[in-house]
Amino acid sequence: MGEFKVHRVRFFNYVPSGIRCVAYNNQSNRLAVSRTDGTVEIYNLSANYFQEKFFPGHESRATEALCWAEGQRLFSAGLNGEIMEYDLQALNIKYAMDAFGGPIWSMAASPSGSQLLVGCEDGSVKLFQITPDKIQFERNFDRQKSKRHFSWGGRILSLSWHPSGTHIAAGSIDYISVFDVKSGSAVHKMIVDRQYMGVSKRKCIVWGVAFLSDGTIISVDSAGKVQFWDSATGTLVKSHLIANADVQSIAVADQEDSFVVGTAEGTVFHFQLVPVTSNSSEKQWVRTKPFQHHTHDVRTVAHSPTALISGGTDTHLVFRPLMEKVEVKNYDAALRKITFPHRCLISCSKKRQLLLFQFAHHLELWRLGSTVATGKNGDTLPLSKNADHLLHLKTKGPENIICSCISPCGSWIAYSTVSRFFLYRLNYEHDNISLKRVSKMPAFLRSALQILFSEDSTKLFVASNQGALHIVQLSGGSFKHLHAFQPQSGTVEAMCLLAVSPDGNWLAASGTSAGVHVYNVKQLKLHCTVPAYNFPVTAMAIAPNTNNLVIAHSDQQVFEYSIPDKQYTDWSRTVQKQGFHHLWLQRDTPITHISFHPKRPMHILLHDAYMFCIIDKSLPLPNDKTLLYNPFPPTNESDVIRRRTAHAFKISKIYKPLLFMDLLDERTLVAVERPLDDIIAQLPPPIKKKKFGT
Amino acid sequence: MVQLRPRASRAPASAEAMVDEGQLASEEEEAEHGLLLGQPSSGAAAEPLEEDEEGDDEFDDEAPEELTFASAQAEAREEERRVRETVRRDKTLLKEKRKRREELFIEQKKRKLLPDTILEKLTTASQTNQNKSYLAVRLKDQDLRDSRQQAAQAFIHNSLYGPGTNRTTVNKFLSLANKRLPVKRAAVQFLNNAWGIQKKQNAKRFKRRWMVRKMKTKK
Repeated sequence: MGEFKVHRVRFFNYVPSGIRCVAYNNQSNRLAVSRTDGTVEIYNLSANYFQEKFFPGHESRATEALCWAEGQRLFSAGLNGEIMEYDLQALNIKYAMDAFGGPIWSMAASPSGSQLLVGCEDGSVKLFQITPDKIQFERNFDRQKSKRHFSWGGRILSLSWHPSGTHIAAGSIDYISVFDVKSGSAVHKMIVDRQYMGVSKRKCIVWGVAFLSDGTIISVDSAGKVQFWDSATGTLVKSHLIANADVQSIAVADQEDSFVVGTAEGTVFHFQLVPVTSNSSEKQWVRTKPFQHHTHDVRTVAHSPTALISGGTDTHLVFRPLMEKVEVKNYDAALRKITFPHRCLISCSKKRQLLLFQFAHHLELWRLGSTVATGKNGDTLPLSKNADHLLHLKTKGPENIICSCISPCGSWIAYSTVSRFFLYRLNYEHDNISLKRVSKMPAFLRSALQILFSEDSTKLFVASNQGALHIVQLSGGSFKHLHAFQPQSGTVEAMCLLAVSPDGNWLAASGTSAGVHVYNVKQLKLHCTVPAYNFPVTAMAIAPNTNNLVIAHSDQQVFEYSIPDKQYTDWSRTVQKQGFHHLWLQRDTPITHISFHPKRPMHILLHDAYMFCIIDKSLPLPNDKTLLYNPFPPTNESDVIRRRTAHAFKISKIYKPLLFMDLLDERTLVAVERPLDDIIAQLPPPIKKKKFGT
Repeated sequence: MVQLRPRASRAPASAEAMVDEGQLASEEEEAEHGLLLGQPSSGAAAEPLEEDEEGDDEFDDEAPEELTFASAQAEAREEERRVRETVRRDKTLLKEKRKRREELFIEQKKRKLLPDTILEKLTTASQTNQNKSYLAVRLKDQDLRDSRQQAAQAFIHNSLYGPGTNRTTVNKFLSLANKRLPVKRAAVQFLNNAWGIQKKQNAKRFKRRWMVRKMKTKK
């Protein structure tokens, strides 16, 4: 394999934003997740829980509610008082409609999917009709006036429709109201106790309500109680005190035999409807399982037919499949925790040893340190020159940065937000660097999903969210738009990835459902298309000299396609015939970056969050019986044994969690790690836990 | 024997007044009456009597003025009427002043506003530039929206992290496990590297300069 010096980088201060809402769509098995910075991500649960699309965030957008309506339409509402619809095909926001009720706290789609209900700050509940291209305000429900002895008319923090669509339950501060949809008047008003068997000065906030078809309303509130109410009479049936802190979210399964609640202590409780005795038909709700997968508040939960989904302030997205619902007890039934991003936020300039880190509102440029010492395997070498923070580039405006890139020579930096595209020219004199912005970027370059520079830094490739691919020629300090490839056949899918060959002739773009397109850059036309595969592409790269395109998919399959020959390579066919090792296929983080060794054409270097692997195509492939992860065997073993156990996949788990790994030159690697503790150290305060003896 | 002269200061008028009407009509009368009644009784009258005698010789040859109740009442009523008149006049003056000021303000505002025609154009134009690349927003609405959004965010922050919630720092939270190990370990963020930054920088600079000086003197 060779000896490498590894730059172990830990100064990328990446902190993801906390999760605020999740919404599960049963028909397409997709999960929409909205974060506190306004980003909305769509995860495809059938494609190995891969994040296939995302909508970048905005500073003023604080989403408080997310829901799916009929026809795969996604709506969100937030504290800026607007209801937004997301266009999942074009990857932009269709429109934002002001509800004129102040900040919106909750939103729920009717069971039929044709109406939308929002609960506002001023205590009003508004009904909207969903039309084919927009939503239309229908009417207001009765607003309750504030009385002297009790403050009705408070903000509506949670809403739930009765499955038949005739009544709704609205949770507010210290009370819950039941409305009749047809007349819009309040049928019952139930006052919630501030504390279970006690008196408390703090107001009791009803964080979540759920309306079941038998008329039971389940409410969760900030006093730590889960309460069952009868909506026909407006009375409390049962009360469970489950936590010392707020219970912040509730989600009911479609069959209404189980529901899940999340608390501020990070615990998720599963409640199930079980018969009272084994033969009776009478059933009651029993708290069955606690799960402690979070450290901070669990602000949102969702219930899919087979799994419990939870997310909160500690930024993890946790999928807990329920054993009794899972058919086959294989690796699919394991816990899945998504913490690290599914795309690459770091780009590298190999010539000048620079790293560009992408944050939500700024970019950081660092120069790697250097050392003159040498050592043996496993040594930590002292730095003769520390890593240098060269540039801190803040973006103008409230929008988040979608993607960014630095050219291999280090003289160009480009990044894109929803409304603008920025290109900067860098000048290096001795140890100083100066920045100059290229003004008057054309409008069609904005909202770029992926930016890539060619190897000689003369061309810029931009994939926009409309499906078009633009080629821009860079020279000196100016640019010239060369060509735009329009979307080919097949529906435009988001998450377009680009790869360019080191000799500058070929450009590969994944982004349509028709497969990966390969374009001839010199002749500016389409060369060929890799056949479509039903799982999305997670990483792509073109090898030098051989011009083989290596593609990694979200189900952990890796393909190698020869561009000049327009067919899969022999090695790739062999791998597909034999199949990958089962442990390789069971990895739960996607491969985010692929790179090659300049002098060794048989090596492919790829990595995911918890391992990096060098695939040696000259060695035999492992079958399911061989040990996949075999670090160096002890040197006193004979050569024969070593040759027998060696196989093509050389996996190392020394550096983890890995955000980025690349080959800087023949003898140097750079590995950017992000320890989980460093992320947790910058999160908001959690609830205090009292442990005996501390 | 001390002879007690009839004390002239004890006015018979007030006694008359009391006998006549038996009621006090106005404040002024009451005041007078109080003054008159407030005379000390002639318990120990020996010494003052002599003084009085001397003083009385000069002034007190005539009887005090006779003040009928009716006249006093009339006088009081006059006073009252005069006071009421002045108050009424003041009020009307103030009202006039306020009215004039209001009119002045309206005039000024009218002058400040653009002529009606331009305003009409603006209101109709704001609905038509949907497809342009800019968006015209009323600042007043935006301020109101911002303030409401801020209030809402403050509410959420208060209810989750405000007083009464049982929150702790991340450091303490992660260090709980360390405290319960069989061999107790330090907290997760034990060192506070952020203290004395200025002091540390100064020390570094001083050390560098000292080294340079040392090198020079060695040579």
